[in-house]
Amino acid sequence: MEAQKVDMFILANGKFFEAHNINIIRDKLLLIDDSKWAVLSTIQFKDPTTSLIVSILAGGFGIDRFLIGDTGLGIGKLLTCGGMGIWTIVDWFMIQDATRAKNMEKIQQFLY
Amino acid sequence: MFFTRNKLYLFLSILCTAGYFWIYFNLTKNPIINTDVCLFKHVTKIPCPSCGSSRSITQIIQGNIQQALYLNPLGFISAFLLLITPFWIIIDVILQKKTLFNWYKKIEYFVKKPKIAILFIILIIINWIWNIKKEL
Repeated sequence: MEAQKVDMFILANGKFFEAHNINIIRDKLLLIDDSKWAVLSTIQFKDPTTSLIVSILAGGFGIDRFLIGDTGLGIGKLLTCGGMGIWTIVDWFMIQDATRAKNMEKIQQFLY
Repeated sequence: MFFTRNKLYLFLSILCTAGYFWIYFNLTKNPIINTDVCLFKHVTKIPCPSCGSSRSITQIIQGNIQQALYLNPLGFISAFLLLITPFWIIIDVILQKKTLFNWYKKIEYFVKKPKIAILFIILIIINWIWNIKKEL
């Protein structure tokens, strides 16, 4: 893919990924075919800030985990009252990175 | 969190161990001491959807199934998961298989289907309303 398009994608979507993954994504995107651009620009990523807000407001019920697609952990969190409150607080700090990791997982299916 | 088999098993083991310690503590504690740990309940004074599960599990252990069902039906799910997960993990680790991991993924996929998800959400909300009415 053209470098210009790739840089445009990185600029627009950089905040959805962990910093150390950006270079990997860039390198991979440069290698793939130009025809995949249309599909790539339609992938929807989860916003880490949104999940942080949800985590603070409704983390005790595991809604944040459901939101990013970790349904199994969401059920676990719901059944344990948010891990007796401990898991809830831990997740306030973890959820943003978890969201970015989920986004990486999503784009990986496309890249490989 | 991008889970691999080993990470999931470690996490579930920690969760189960904590669960068993909590149940043991609940069974042996002085009934006068108030041990509400639910963050939501402390903040809002309203019980959360799963408040009462530990009391429900202790009632199951003592044989009062009806009382357990009245306290919180979710206690049965928790008790069932607490009972089977450790054995499943041990068997999987010994046989070096990943049947639990595959099941976990299958259940995640199943629950994510909109129709199933909505059904579960409605059930949880009904349970929550019941919890608030019971003033757990």
